[in-house]
Formats: sequence, structure tokens, C-alpha cells
Amino acid sequence: MTETALIGGARQPKAPRASSGRAWLLLLPAYALLLGVFVYPVLESVWRSVSDPTLGLDNYVWALSNENNVGVILRTFGNGLLATAICLALAYPYAYLMTIVGARARVALVVIALIPFWTSLMIRTFAWIVLLQDNGVVNTLLGAIGVGPLELLRTNTGVIIGLSQVLMPFMVLPLYAVMSGIDLRLVTAARSLGARPSVAFLKVFVPLSMPGVIAGSLLVFIQALGFYVTPALLGSPADSMLAQSIYAQVSGLLQWGRGGALGVILLVVTVLLLAVIGLIARVSGRRGINVKVL
Amino acid sequence: MINTKRTILTSVGGLALTVALVGCSAGGAPVEVDLGSGPAVAGTVKAGALDGVTLTLASWGGLFQEGQVTAASEPFAKESGATMLEDGPTEYAKVKAQVDSKQVTWDIVDSDIIWADMQCGDDGLLMDLDTTIVDTSNIPDGLVGDCYVPAMQYGYVIMYNEDAYPSAPTGWADFFDTEKFPGKRAIAGFEDIGPGVYEGALLAEGVAPEELYPLDMDRVYAKLDGLRDNLIYWKTGAESQQMIESGDADMALVWSGRGFGAVENGANYAPIWDQSLVVADALGVPKNAKNPDAAFAYINYYLGAKQQATLSEITSYSPVHRDAKPNLSELGQEFLITNPDISEQMVPTDASWWSENYDAELNRWLDWIQG
Repeated sequence: MTETALIGGARQPKAPRASSGRAWLLLLPAYALLLGVFVYPVLESVWRSVSDPTLGLDNYVWALSNENNVGVILRTFGNGLLATAICLALAYPYAYLMTIVGARARVALVVIALIPFWTSLMIRTFAWIVLLQDNGVVNTLLGAIGVGPLELLRTNTGVIIGLSQVLMPFMVLPLYAVMSGIDLRLVTAARSLGARPSVAFLKVFVPLSMPGVIAGSLLVFIQALGFYVTPALLGSPADSMLAQSIYAQVSGLLQWGRGGALGVILLVVTVLLLAVIGLIARVSGRRGINVKVL
Repeated sequence: MINTKRTILTSVGGLALTVALVGCSAGGAPVEVDLGSGPAVAGTVKAGALDGVTLTLASWGGLFQEGQVTAASEPFAKESGATMLEDGPTEYAKVKAQVDSKQVTWDIVDSDIIWADMQCGDDGLLMDLDTTIVDTSNIPDGLVGDCYVPAMQYGYVIMYNEDAYPSAPTGWADFFDTEKFPGKRAIAGFEDIGPGVYEGALLAEGVAPEELYPLDMDRVYAKLDGLRDNLIYWKTGAESQQMIESGDADMALVWSGRGFGAVENGANYAPIWDQSLVVADALGVPKNAKNPDAAFAYINYYLGAKQQATLSEITSYSPVHRDAKPNLSELGQEFLITNPDISEQMVPTDASWWSENYDAELNRWLDWIQG
């Protein structure tokens, strides 16, 4: 936020001081909104998690001693990692293709990547229900080649398929943004100095694309952790993720304190993971890999 | 329900403004109503008795509330002179806020029957029925509480795939027998609990219908454990119907209206009426209602045979008047649980047991389902 403001100020270097001071007021609405609809509810959840129904850590004891909850938390992070890995594996070659094809093909590839982005999440998730159900398109095709039928809908596999597809644009776009800024002549230079194509790609292109990899992975991973609709519709209550457990506590049982505790756990673990990734990025940055995302 | 209070207190704050605004428009002193003399007869109201009275029905919206308006509210307004308003969907926190602030704008509330049962008595939110105004004599047994009447009833019934099972399953024992009847079973799996597969588990064990309650839940879960790998869960009525129509569920425990819908759409499924369960929605009057007599007069009118028949014709739910004769298609008749061939096979459920054990059982269920 602060950086954005400074950049905003720096764009008008000739403006008088007073005016640039007042320019800060432009941030007020955004900050007020953030305070009202983000900071306050988060603090309220934290407070309720230690005060509802009685003051103390009962809700956390419940959250971490209940076997189901631990399973749900592990599944949530496991699904997040898996969806991120799948997105990366599919999006990386796609984004690379976008950088090396001609302008017209690139437009087509961008549009294809963006179509899901412009389509309602609900519609895409319901489409997956139609595709994945026992007598759905996927199982019919699998049957035609002699595989299956596989159990896809209402399983964790279904959830991961849905998550990966829904979150794919968040991987493709940062990757493409970074890759399109990489000077491909560097790869050519490496090859002219005797590197095999694969070596040139791995030693030159891949490290330069790391900021995109990290940015995309973070976007996908963090969004996957908090996903509600897709796991609720494609999974079964037996494979629920954290957002569903929170919903069950708050809406079904009116246990706001327990819901709050689960939310705080999700938040804390996520922040810890980010800190670790940031640390790794910084260390590898010192080793000469240019990672500016964090 | 300790936590309910806190939640509701917060809602009260948010609702204060709304309540104040609505309070003004609906204001005015209670109107004296003369409903006439003699015992109440369901489906009737003294002509012009409620001139100048305004009543609001809060219900669930959609086709169901449209049916209530057409079958009861509109003719009631015409005969009694009352002005009928509609609101919804029913939200229990709002009922609580209205009662607590003594600004009741929902005169008649359609609710879940278990919730309604929890609201009877001194601590509850609903008024005791005034049986001098409400004629409950034609309502099927077990559906009337101290503070509510049924708003409609339906069956909780097993539907099975006729293509999957050449020799038809015949009851709960077969529902739980995955060796004789392999395949997937769909049951409700969302953040609510009430009569359903739990009663079924005990009936499958051979417990007599009249000895079901109090439910032996340890025995229920022991039985359910054996079925776990075959279970799939629906979260909405629409989803349960989809599971039948797509063939994903070989057997499905669903609301009878959904079973009807699926068969009407061409699914080759059949209901097992033997020991299927009777469930209902409830209609009650919140405490501190401005004109309880008028509200009960509406409920009395709503319960008439003709009104109930019309409601069934529109909504496909079953009537709660014994003599109601809805004019339905042949298939509709096959899913009408007041049809004597069906009703004599059904098992009544006990809303009060569920209301007493609601929180503990919901917790246990959510733990089991995720385990």
C-alpha cells in the first residue's frame, strides 16, 4: 500500500508539497473499507475464538484435539499444494508457448486462458458436476477406452480437478507477465556459447521465470486454502476442507467461537507458510536468483 | 443453545433500524376482532371479521409460498376483510429479534417443525395455540404441538433404481444390506439434523415403530458405520433429485416431493412406502404479535380441507386435513402421503425428541460425517 502511494506521489514530481500531502486523502476510502470489512471482522473472529462461549482457549483445544479437524486442516493444505502443483505443471508450458508464438496466436492463447476467468465460478463448478458424475461425459469417455468408471464427483479427486481448473488463470497470467519480460536472446546467447537447448532453457530461462512461478503459486495456493463453493459442490462432506468446517460451525451449530478458532488457525498457518517461502526466496535471491515478488 | 443468544443479540442491533421502520408502517393499536361464536371450524372465517387488520405471513418463498398465498391468503383476505402481506424467507434470528423488541411484524411464521417445537413454553418464541380459534380436529395424529400446527406434510422415503435392482428392495433392512443390494445410497448431509436415516437404522434393526423414541443413537451409529462406504450426501432437495435423475444414487432417501419430481422427469425409480417417515413444516404465531386472534383465525382458515387440497395441487406437498381431496395427476396421487394405502404404512416421527437433543446430535452427526 505504502509503495503504491509513493509511486502515485512520484508521478507528479512538480506538484506543490501541500497538494501531494492531500493526495494521501485519496487512500482514505480504501483504508476505511479495509478497516470496516476486513480488519474489524478479522479482529472480531479472533476475539470470539477466545471468548465465545467462555473466555479461554477452549475453542483451540477443541479445534486441535478433534481428530476430524486435524484431518480437515491437513487435507486443506494438501489439496492446496496439489492444486498449485497441477496448475504450475499445466500453466508453465502454456505460458511459455504464449511468449514464443506470433502476435495473433498469442491473442488466441490469452483469450483461451481468460475465458474461464470471465465465467462465473458457480457455472464452472456446476459444469464440473455434469462432467464428473457417474454417468457423465468423463466417465463415458473413459468407458469408451476401457477404463473406469471412476468415482470422481463427491470425492477429493473431484475437488482437486475443480480447484485446479478454477484457479488456473491465476497461474497463467503472472507466469506470462514475467516470461514476456524475459529477453529470449539470453537463451540464444547461451546456446551460441555451446549449451544444449535443454540446458539453456533450464539454466537461463527457468531461473528468470522464477518470480512468476512464485507469484502464481502463492495466488493459487492461498486462494485454494479458503475455497468454499467448489469443494462443497464437487466433494462430499466426508472430504470437507476448512471453509466448509467453518461454515458448519457458524451457520449450522451457531458456534461462532469454534468457527473463529478454525479461521484463525488457517490464517496463522498461511502466514507462517508465506514467511517460510519468503525466507527461501530471499536466500535464493542472495544466491543470484532474482526474486522480487516478496 | 447458549451461543444462539450472542448471535441473536448482534442481529438485534442490525435489525433495530429495520424493526423501527417497519414498526411505524405496521403501527396502530390492536384492532378488536369479533370472530363470531361457536366452535371453530377449520377453513372458515366470519365474513368481514377482520376489516382493517393487516397480517404478515413469513414463509420460505418460491413455489411453496405461492401455493400458500393462492390456497389460503388470497381467499382469506377476501372473506375476512384482512389485508394479507407476504415476507420471507423465514429467519429464526429475525423472529427472535422481533419478539424481544416487542415489534412483531411477522404475525404467522412458517418454520421447521423441530425449531417450532423448541419454541413452545415460557422460554420459547411462539404463542400457545388458541384452540377456541384453531380447529385442529382434522389434522393427522402427531403433527400438532402446543404452539404450532403443521403447514404441510411430506414423506421421507427411499427411492430405488428399478434398473439396478431386478428384485426390488422392500424396506430399511434392504437399504442397509449392501451385500444383497450393492450400490450407492444418497442421504441428507448438511448442517442440520432431524428425522431420517437415524430412525431408518433402528427400523432396519427391527425396532418397532412405536418403540423408536428415545432413539438409541449408539446403535444408530453402529449401523451407519457399516453403510459409510456406500453413502453419498445431498445438501439440497434439488441435489437429491439430481442424484436420482442422473442415476448416481442406486437408492436415495429423499423428500417425497423430490422423488415425485424425479419420476415425473422420467427417472425409472420407485418409492418404498413401507416404514417411510412422516415429516412436516410448522405454522405458528410469535409471542407479542399485535393481533394474535386474527393470526390464529388465519391459521384456522389455512387448515381447511379445500385450502389444503389447493395447496397440494400447487406444491405437490401433502395436505394436513384428513378430508382434503386434491385433484392430482395419477403420478401425483402415488406420492400423496395422505393416500390411505400409503399413510397406513408410514411411521410418525417425534419432533420433540429431536428438538430436545438437537445441538448434541447435530455435533455428533457432523463429526461422524467428516470422520
